[in-house]
Amino acid sequence: MSDLTSKPGGDEDAIEPPDDDLLAGEYVLGVLDEGQRRAVQVRIEAEPVFARRVAGWEERLGSLTAHVEPIDVPEHLWLRVRERLGWPAAAHAGGGLWRSVGFWRATTAVALAAAIAAIVISVPRMLAPPSPLVAESPAAEPVTTLSHDDGTPAWLASVDVRRGTVLLVPVPAPADARGRVPELWLIPRGGSPRALGLLSSDRSYAVAVPADLRIALTAGAVLAVSLEPPGGAPGPAPTGPIIAKGMIQL
Amino acid sequence: MRLTAGARVKHDVSLEALLGQVALGNRAAFEALYHDTSRKLFGICLRLLAERSEAEDALQETFTTVWRKAVQFDAARASPIAWLAMIARNKAIDRLRARPARSRMAPIEAIEELEDPRASPHQQAQALADRSRLDACIQQLEAQRRSLICAAFFEGSTYEELAVRIGSPLGSVKSWIRRGLLQLRSCLQEP
Repeated sequence: MSDLTSKPGGDEDAIEPPDDDLLAGEYVLGVLDEGQRRAVQVRIEAEPVFARRVAGWEERLGSLTAHVEPIDVPEHLWLRVRERLGWPAAAHAGGGLWRSVGFWRATTAVALAAAIAAIVISVPRMLAPPSPLVAESPAAEPVTTLSHDDGTPAWLASVDVRRGTVLLVPVPAPADARGRVPELWLIPRGGSPRALGLLSSDRSYAVAVPADLRIALTAGAVLAVSLEPPGGAPGPAPTGPIIAKGMIQL
Repeated sequence: MRLTAGARVKHDVSLEALLGQVALGNRAAFEALYHDTSRKLFGICLRLLAERSEAEDALQETFTTVWRKAVQFDAARASPIAWLAMIARNKAIDRLRARPARSRMAPIEAIEELEDPRASPHQQAQALADRSRLDACIQQLEAQRRSLICAAFFEGSTYEELAVRIGSPLGSVKSWIRRGLLQLRSCLQEP
């Protein structure tokens, strides 16, 4: 392969078929014709090693897309995407927290950074001496147990008030037989439930609490998990049964 | 690796959080993701396809794929926007290839287009030099390799189309581009 780069003056014609890594680069660059692209796509699905080569080139060349200017998208296109996914046309009626596009803007970058940091660290590591990313985190945080009605624990929640994040660690349980998904709610003292996002039943997950709700993240407020249709509760309130809840301990 | 993730977080943190929720099937998060990224991805599709209706179809396919594959997104390997952009590129290029051969081979004012300071991909890359490691490496390529690689990336031209566009033998075009790719790979590997 190195002889390809160093071969003097041999620009014309005679060039050997590319090796796998070069082929992956040609695919990502976009110079392959239809048949060659299909062949490569089949290999990406079937060969993990080859797929990693493609991913490597995507990483190498990806930043070129920074040079492409954004262009306004016709409004009807979002409806077409929804239709293609088979989503009900009227779901806009919900108007819940997540419907607000400003939702993520309202949460501070700091809180979100903490949420991401929490995702990439494992729970044992949280309890171990702080790593660079969690260096600013308190050494230990109280844990709130979200329990089923019979008292058995379902999720363990670690609330970071300063950053406005809640890390949820599930006690592994089988997925809901009816295909419903767990959604987390914060119930402020004397208030009604506010959606914090969907959870996983088998992986730890950090949710970012919106800025205006962070004040409610206090001892005595309740974290609850309900079972919702795939995609989450269609409106601002839970629609399915509450399967676990716990009062925040700070 | 965690430090890398931390550095990246500054720019793309909300997209990463949104993709995480989309992976769990959160439809509202998907809508927010669409709102935040569709203009950029539409720009990519339109740049490759040139026709609005086709670019719209490609964008629709892009987002249905994002919904299905969000769970495969790996923050340690790619930034969210780069991952989304690659899906959009693949959808657009697949469409480009499916066009009838005649429209794909329609004559293009190749040389003029490549050398026009306003339209040229390599000039465009030059204008934004030093913005990334890749840009710096691209600047080190010979002009011919640089133009071809940028034309291929931004316009989705095949080897055959590029050969026609610049009036050079197919073998030369392949050779220039492959060497350019190898040069980029080794440039990006340097510490």
